[in-house]
Amino acid sequence: MAHQAHAYHMVDPSPWPLTGAIAALLMTSGLAIWFHFHSTTLMTLGLILLLLTMYQWWRDIIREGTFQGHHTPPVQKGLRYGMILFITSEVFFFLGFFWAFYHSSLAPTPELGGCWPPTGITPLDPFEVPLLNTAVLLASGVTVTWAHHSIMEGERKQAIQSLALTILLGLYFTALQAMEYYEAPFTIADGVYGSTFFVATGFHGLHVIIGSTFLAVCLLRQIQYHFTSEHHFGFEAAAWYWHFVDVVWLFLYVSIYWWGS
Amino acid sequence: MYYKVSGVTGKLTGATAASAYSPQGLKPTVPSQAPPMIFAVPTKVVSETGSVAHYMGINKVPELQKIFQVFFKGLLHPKMKMTTMGLTIGGTLYCLMALYIAAQPRKPQ
Repeated sequence: MAHQAHAYHMVDPSPWPLTGAIAALLMTSGLAIWFHFHSTTLMTLGLILLLLTMYQWWRDIIREGTFQGHHTPPVQKGLRYGMILFITSEVFFFLGFFWAFYHSSLAPTPELGGCWPPTGITPLDPFEVPLLNTAVLLASGVTVTWAHHSIMEGERKQAIQSLALTILLGLYFTALQAMEYYEAPFTIADGVYGSTFFVATGFHGLHVIIGSTFLAVCLLRQIQYHFTSEHHFGFEAAAWYWHFVDVVWLFLYVSIYWWGS
Repeated sequence: MYYKVSGVTGKLTGATAASAYSPQGLKPTVPSQAPPMIFAVPTKVVSETGSVAHYMGINKVPELQKIFQVFFKGLLHPKMKMTTMGLTIGGTLYCLMALYIAAQPRKPQ
């Protein structure tokens, strides 16, 4: 930073993109080897390598952005664009599964009994646990906004408390969903209803877990004084992601749980 | 004779020398020097800053860094990097070998 005449970040050479790519190779090939030869070694190796890559790459970014000072305003702008584009790509990912759901449910075939939910399927009552889940995620949206304002106002204790509460709500949602999955009267194998239900809500649940993990990392960073009242983009990115997860749930709830029951 | 493609008909049509030499027209006032380049907001001296970034509590990062570097850097992180690189290279070789073996025809049972 002392010897460059521009405000951009010329990143030092890093091995993590390579290790990440190799992790992807090992995981995908490992999946094929697992399917055909019943050995999970390669896939596990890939998973370990992925975790190591994620930890070290993001650790390096945190170092570059905090005490090395590389995250100037133009750099931060680029990071914002990046996160927005990534979330947009995830929106399209979910759009596909919603398309599949509406394709099958708007015109149910004779094999399903010509009705939705299909004959023989007892859907979950949308006004029981799913409604609680909706309340939990909406509340977590409030607490994450509270955390943001606390950080911007320099209120350390409140920021930690509200961020911790957000994560707890996220974990509560995950626990409730897991229980629902266990107790559900239908499975993923129960025709197109089961497929659309469990794939859409399953991927959503995975994103809740990812979002909770992201927020947990932010909590650790907040405790360790990484964020300032002006500069806390890591937290903002986590909050954006969390709001996205919340919105997807609302669409899931209205479409699959409520309209689809 | 100079030519241009007419914006209206899309066909080749006549043009004047002036418009052929500068098709987009001459900008009336072009500065002879480039405007001063503006980089990101230059770092201000702390005493000059209007809106001060509020750090929450005393900044413990420097002393934590020292502890971190003494303890972890000496032990954990370099080992982690070596392990990662080892898994990368070893994993690639294992993967290629596994795929090669998987590609061999199996005996019919």
